[in-house]
Amino acid sequence: MAKNDLQGTLDLLVLKTLAQMGRLHGYGIVQHIHRASDDLLRVEEGSLYPALHRMEQSGWIGSEWALTETGRKAKYYKLTVAGKKRLEAAEKDFEELVRGVRAMLRYA
Amino acid sequence: MGWLQRIRNLGRRDAVDAEIAAELQSHIDLAVEEAVRAGMSEDEARRAARLRFGNPAAVKETTMEADAALGIDGVWRDVRFAVRQLKRSPGFAVTVIATLALGIGANTAIFSAVKAVLLAPLPYKDSGRIVAVWTSKPARGESEPSASSPGDFAVWKQKAGVFEDMAPSYDDEMTLTGSGSPQFLIGYAVSANYLSILGVAPAMGRLYTDEEDRPGGPPVVLLSDHLWRTTFDGDPEIVGKAITLDGKRYTVLGVMPRAFNYPTSVQIWTPSALTPSASSDFSHTFVRILARLKPGVSAATAQAALNRVEAQVAAARPDTDHGNRVVVTPLREQLDGDIRMPLLILLGAAGLVLLIACANTAGLGLARAAERHAEVAVRLALGATRTHLVRQFMTESLVLAIPGGMGGVLLAWAGTHSLLRLFPTDVANLRIPVVQAIPVDRGVLLFALGATVLSAVLSGLAPLWRVARAADAARMKESARGTTAGAASNRMRSAMVIVEVALSLMLLTAAGLIVASFEKAMNAGLGFEPDHLLSIEVLLPLNRYPSSNPQKRQQFTENVLLAMVAKPGVLMAGATNYEPLSGFWGTTNFLVRGDAVPALGVGPEADDRLITPGYFATMHIPVLRGRGFTAADRTGSEPVAMINETFAKEYFPSRDPVGLELNLGSGQKPNWWRIVGVAADVKSFGRDQPTHAEIFRTLEQVPFPLIAFNVRTRVDAAAFVKPAEEALWSVDPDLPIFQAIPMEELASQTLAVRRASSALVAGFAGLALVLACIGIYGVMAYAVTQRRAEIGVRLALGAQRGDVLRMVLGSGLRLALIGVLIGLAGALASSRLLHSLLFQVSAINPFIFAAAAAALIGVCLAAAYLPARRAAAIDPMRALRAE
Repeated sequence: MAKNDLQGTLDLLVLKTLAQMGRLHGYGIVQHIHRASDDLLRVEEGSLYPALHRMEQSGWIGSEWALTETGRKAKYYKLTVAGKKRLEAAEKDFEELVRGVRAMLRYA
Repeated sequence: MGWLQRIRNLGRRDAVDAEIAAELQSHIDLAVEEAVRAGMSEDEARRAARLRFGNPAAVKETTMEADAALGIDGVWRDVRFAVRQLKRSPGFAVTVIATLALGIGANTAIFSAVKAVLLAPLPYKDSGRIVAVWTSKPARGESEPSASSPGDFAVWKQKAGVFEDMAPSYDDEMTLTGSGSPQFLIGYAVSANYLSILGVAPAMGRLYTDEEDRPGGPPVVLLSDHLWRTTFDGDPEIVGKAITLDGKRYTVLGVMPRAFNYPTSVQIWTPSALTPSASSDFSHTFVRILARLKPGVSAATAQAALNRVEAQVAAARPDTDHGNRVVVTPLREQLDGDIRMPLLILLGAAGLVLLIACANTAGLGLARAAERHAEVAVRLALGATRTHLVRQFMTESLVLAIPGGMGGVLLAWAGTHSLLRLFPTDVANLRIPVVQAIPVDRGVLLFALGATVLSAVLSGLAPLWRVARAADAARMKESARGTTAGAASNRMRSAMVIVEVALSLMLLTAAGLIVASFEKAMNAGLGFEPDHLLSIEVLLPLNRYPSSNPQKRQQFTENVLLAMVAKPGVLMAGATNYEPLSGFWGTTNFLVRGDAVPALGVGPEADDRLITPGYFATMHIPVLRGRGFTAADRTGSEPVAMINETFAKEYFPSRDPVGLELNLGSGQKPNWWRIVGVAADVKSFGRDQPTHAEIFRTLEQVPFPLIAFNVRTRVDAAAFVKPAEEALWSVDPDLPIFQAIPMEELASQTLAVRRASSALVAGFAGLALVLACIGIYGVMAYAVTQRRAEIGVRLALGAQRGDVLRMVLGSGLRLALIGVLIGLAGALASSRLLHSLLFQVSAINPFIFAAAAAALIGVCLAAAYLPARRAAAIDPMRALRAE
């Protein structure tokens, strides 16, 4: 699969996470995806942070430094209005992709 | 967020860097925290987190890249990286920069000349519609377009209907006295509307009006800016003052603007004051016509229309106008017609050199790209994207090209001075503009920038493609050694070399043809001996040497010749009216006694030259038949004439001309002259120009105000200028000297364009040869390195060293041959473009083509020899072990 598709999927996962959890830092996003996918998906930190910064550049998420429950400083991300729209579009694209792949696999 | 943030990030680079580091660190800390809560020890947790996290530096880099605002930050990083890389291969960098500097420099220099001469906008109103009108008389043997008759002018102005305005003008040299030492001024008599056609107004004062421009009108004159500044010291009150020209008082009406210089070197403009009777004068051709085309009318249309009108005139006046052809020349061509093609050819040659330089650089770059496999792989592993790599290598190309460009501009700036040799200043009637300086200005710098970018793109494309493919290959985890990428890259390098060889061959053949033409022109011989010969020209002012007093003119000439010969170091002296190679000449019609009178009533035309008896001897022009002139041929004795070889061959092919008589007058008023001798031909218009039929008579029998003294000296002619001037002024102290120049210089100037062009094109060809040599060497050397293993195997299996040598040389030869064949095709197709620089050399000269091909193949073989020897010297054991 080409890099773009993978990147698109990662974006989708991050945006969905933030939609579900509201505010979250990078580490938290990794953990959430891992848990919510029943341990099936592991996000590489090396891919996550560039993706986060890229999405921030594109205006889909916003960031701010804040303290965690344990008093550590961390950079929290949250969804923007544009991000919500982007999430809807990405979800639709993904559904289409899955349907297409399934149809192909079932073809006799 | 978005653009604003990106721009802000530019400024806060370090801050962003720190922030990202903090974020990544906090991620690790949180992971450690959780692991510790789950029961791990702090150290273990930290180690696990680090392992999971991967390389923080790499992550930081890619994260930063996502932040990279507008790509500018990235570009600067790329530049620094490129510079570091290049410092590690200084040989490569220096070679490429030098090569590009030479290529860009050559192009910039020639372009600056092209811009200054061909592209500079003419400072006249709507100059695209200004044309000059000439008459040529092929029926009279005179095919060069020349001045027209006032009668023709009047008819055309009335009837042609294609011009908005038409203005007559003619040469009117005058002597200025009473303002410092007497000066001979180049003057031009122009009608009142002449300057308005050009759209030029005086910087001071005013133009004369149509009413003032009539015979008997007020004697007024316009000065050139240069004359005003030098002779009149820039007098701000000059307008209205009187000056003395040819003994008469003229009022200065105005001073022309500094930049105004048409026709070139004119210093004074006076009213043309053509008499009404002039409009019925169809026999004297002295009017030079300037006109402005009506909107929408082209020069070609105007020419056709004028020829139709002229055909009617010729029908009504066959004796003067039969066979006249009218030529309409746009002003631009009038000014630079003779230098345009040479300059463009030079630009083409320089362009070829740049292409070869780029091919060379591309080839070198390809080799280097192949060597950087490891580096590319590592960078990819570190997370570099393909776009990033492409950008990086493009930046490297530019980092090499820009110093090359700057070096090129410096070279061009130094070289423009010697380009001035393309523009001789002392030969009249050449359509080459007067060029004082060739500036390297903004336009030229823009061109240099364009050439630099083009070079970067051209030389970077091939390595770039290579790197992109390597990036893909690494991504697909293929082995980078000995793959299809390698073979394709080799093919590309071979293609580069073939291109180089082909282009070099084209340059070599062009240089061969042009240099051969130059040699032929040089050896063509002038018909006289220009060494140790001084030419000193004067124009006798008509007020002191009127035509009513011919004895005064004869006396003057004789006395000056005596004074010259009396000077030490002088062997002999002679005089003529129209000096060869000066660009001045006059003509006359003639009829041969006893021959049938032509139906038109007027005979053919020949050049009319007047000489003293010592002239032929002084010039070393042999007399082929009959006798030369002697002192006995003077006023009162029989009118005698001589003719030249061309005349004899054309009009007396089967009989001896000596003794025959020529009528130089007309049917009604004959003027008979007996031919007493035939002189050898002189190339009066240049070594590479055809000779005209010439008639010679003595200045004694036909006194003339324009006199050129030729003095044969024992020593260097230039040293004799002062004594010659003294001799002249000892006879007439008030006589201004028009020009004093060693004939050698004049002879050399007529070849100036050829000489400079030949030198430049030969230089370019030499450069191309060197570059092709380097290119072939590089490719062969690299191929040998790549095929070490294969060669080792061959040697181990029993091949002789000689076989290996032949194999490598053979592959080099194959490349060279393909290149030469393609180059020959290109040269054959394009050599016709050179025709304006060729002389007695055909555009498809088999000898030169063969010589160029042989030279190039020889160079290629020589370049391939060293790598071939190294290949033959390979130790098979070492080669195989290194596998």
